[in-house]
Amino acid sequence: MFKWAWKSLFNQPGHLLGSALGIASAFILVIFFDSVWRGESVQVVAYPDNMKPDIWVMQSGVGNMHMAMSFVWDWKAKKIEKIEGVKKVTPILYTSSIITVNNKEMFAFIVGLLPDAQRAGPWEMAAGRQIESPGEVLIPDVLSKIGNINIGDSLQIIDQIFTVTGLTKGTFSSANTVLFVPFSNLDKILSSSGTYSYLLVDTEEGIDAKKLARKIKSDVAKVNALTHKEFIANDLSMAKQMGVEIIVMMTIICSVLAALIVAFTSYSLIMRKRKELAIIKALGVNNRTVLYSVTAQSIIVTLLGFILATAFTVFVIPTLPQLIPQLTVLVSIDAIIQLGLIALIVSIAGALIPAYMVLRVDPATAFHV
Amino acid sequence: MDNSILKASHLSKYFGSGHTEVRAVDDISINIKAGELVLIMGPSGSGKTTLLSMLGALLQPSKGTVYINNVNISELKDTKLPEIRALNIGFIFQSFNLLEALTVEENILFPSQLRSEGINKAKDRADKLITQLNLQHRRNVLPHTLSGGEKQRVAIARALINEPKLILADEPTGNLDSETGQEVMMILHDLARDHGYSVLLVTHDPRVEEIADRILWLEDGKLHDRKLEQHAWAIDPVCGMKVDQWKATIFSNYAEKRYTFCSSRCQERFHENPDAYIK
Repeated sequence: MFKWAWKSLFNQPGHLLGSALGIASAFILVIFFDSVWRGESVQVVAYPDNMKPDIWVMQSGVGNMHMAMSFVWDWKAKKIEKIEGVKKVTPILYTSSIITVNNKEMFAFIVGLLPDAQRAGPWEMAAGRQIESPGEVLIPDVLSKIGNINIGDSLQIIDQIFTVTGLTKGTFSSANTVLFVPFSNLDKILSSSGTYSYLLVDTEEGIDAKKLARKIKSDVAKVNALTHKEFIANDLSMAKQMGVEIIVMMTIICSVLAALIVAFTSYSLIMRKRKELAIIKALGVNNRTVLYSVTAQSIIVTLLGFILATAFTVFVIPTLPQLIPQLTVLVSIDAIIQLGLIALIVSIAGALIPAYMVLRVDPATAFHV
Repeated sequence: MDNSILKASHLSKYFGSGHTEVRAVDDISINIKAGELVLIMGPSGSGKTTLLSMLGALLQPSKGTVYINNVNISELKDTKLPEIRALNIGFIFQSFNLLEALTVEENILFPSQLRSEGINKAKDRADKLITQLNLQHRRNVLPHTLSGGEKQRVAIARALINEPKLILADEPTGNLDSETGQEVMMILHDLARDHGYSVLLVTHDPRVEEIADRILWLEDGKLHDRKLEQHAWAIDPVCGMKVDQWKATIFSNYAEKRYTFCSSRCQERFHENPDAYIK
C-alpha cells in the first residue's frame, strides 16, 4: 500500500513539484519573516554590541539603550575613573529621534562623541573621514544609498543642520539607524550641560567586570552599572518584545497558509485518485491503511516543500541584503528546526480534511466506468 | 451449510424512503456452487451493479442475507468487510481498474499484501499467473502501455492472486474488441471448469451466453432464470438488442409488421424515422 502511495505521488512529477513549491512558498515566508526579525533584532543592538566595553554605566533605573534615556553627571564619570580596576571611562551623549531622508521618516540613534572619544565611535568606515569639527555627521552607508545623501551633503537632525563627512558600515537597521555627531552639538540639542548619557568603562586586565560593576553601583550614587553581556541581553530583550508579536502573527498566518496549501494538495491528490482509492478499498484495503497512506503522501509532499524552503533559505535569503540594502537578515538553525516542527504539524493538519474524504470514498464506485 | 460458495437469500436494496423510495434490488435469491459460471444479464438500470456490490461485500443490503464461504457477511460490521473481500472475492471490472503507478507485477501482487503470508509465496503464485496469462514480456511495464486485452488479463491475475473461491466480474468484455473479449471469456470459463472457481458475471454481451452454466435475467430489481423460461427472441430494430417477446411490453406496428423494443426510448426513436431502421 505504501509502495502505491509513494509511486502514485511520483508518477505525476509535475503535480508533485507544483504542490511542493506551493508549500515551500508558505514556509519561505515563515522563515523570511523570522530571518528579518532576527536580523533586525541583532542590528538594533549593533552599536552597543560593537562597542564592547567591559561595563556600561547609566542612570539608575535604566538598563538598556534601545528607546531609553539616561543622564549621568560628569563628576560621577570622574569618580568612576578613580575606582581601582577601572582603566578608562569613555562618556557619550545619546538620544533617539526621527530624521527625514529623501521624504522618508526614519528612526535614528544619535551618538554624541567627545573629540578624543573615537573608542565610542564607528567600528568600520565605508568612506570619508571621522568627525573633527562641530556640525559634522557620520551616517550609515546604507542610508547614503537609499536616501541619496553623499559626503558633503547636508542633513537636518532635530533643529540643527549637519554636513556629512563620512559613511559608516554596519550601523543601519530598519528599526534604527546610528548617526555620530560631535558631543558639543548634541549637548546643545539636549541642553544637557554637565551630563553624559552612558559611560563605557574598560577595566584593567584580570579584573572581574561583574564585581567591578557592583562596586561602581555601591560607590557612586544613583547609577546603574551592568556588564556588557547583561546590557546587551537587556537591549536585545527590549527589541524582541517590540517585534515579537508581529513575527508570531506572521508565523501563524504563514503556517495556516501552508496548512491550507497542504490540505488543498492532498485534496486535489485525492480527487485525482478517487477512482483508484475506490479500487483499493474494493480490493480489500481497510480505511485505516488508506488513511495512513494518504497522510504519508501529505508528509512526503510537505517534506519536499520543507527541503525546497530550506535550500532557498540557505542559498537565497542571505543574498537578499545585496539587492535590498536596508534589509538585515539572519538565518538561524533554530528557525529551520522550528520550521521543521511546523512542517510536521502542518502536514498532519493538512491531511485531516482529505482523510475525512478518504473515509467517504465508496468502494462500490469501483464498478463505475 | 451446503457447498455453495455464494448464497444470497431474499436480498433487497432500497434507496430513498416514502414516495421517493427506489427498489434497486427486490427480494432476490441466488446460489452459486463451486465451479459454476453464472451470468446475470439485464437492461441498464436493472440493478445489476447494486446486486454485484451487495454480493461482493461492497454494499450492505436493506434486507436479506449473503453468505460467502458459509460466512454471513450481512451480519458483519463494515470494518470486517474489507478482509472478506481481500481473502474471498476476486474482482474483475469493465474498465480494468489497474493502479496506474504500479507495474504489471506490482498490480498483480497488490492484494497479496492483505493476506498474512510471506511475499515469496505470493511471488511464486504471481509468476505462475503471469505465465498462464501470457504476460511474461509485460511484467515490468506500467498499465498505460498495455492493450485492453492485456490489461484485463492483468486484472484477472490480480483477482486470482489471493486464491479466492469467488470471482465477480462486471462487464469484463465491455471495453474489448470481439476477439480479445472472446479470449477473456474463455479464460473465465476455464477458471470455473478447470480450477473450480465460482464465477458470477454481469454482462450485456450475448456471446457469453454460450459458456454460462446458468443465465439469470435481472429487470426492475427482480431476477429470473432465463434458461428455464420460454423465449421468443426479437431484435430491437433501433439498438439491435435481443428482446424476449414473452416478456417485452413495448411494441409498435408499422407497415403491417409488429416491432418489439427494449425500451420506450428506442420506440420513440423508431417513430421519428421508421424507414431508417427497417432493412
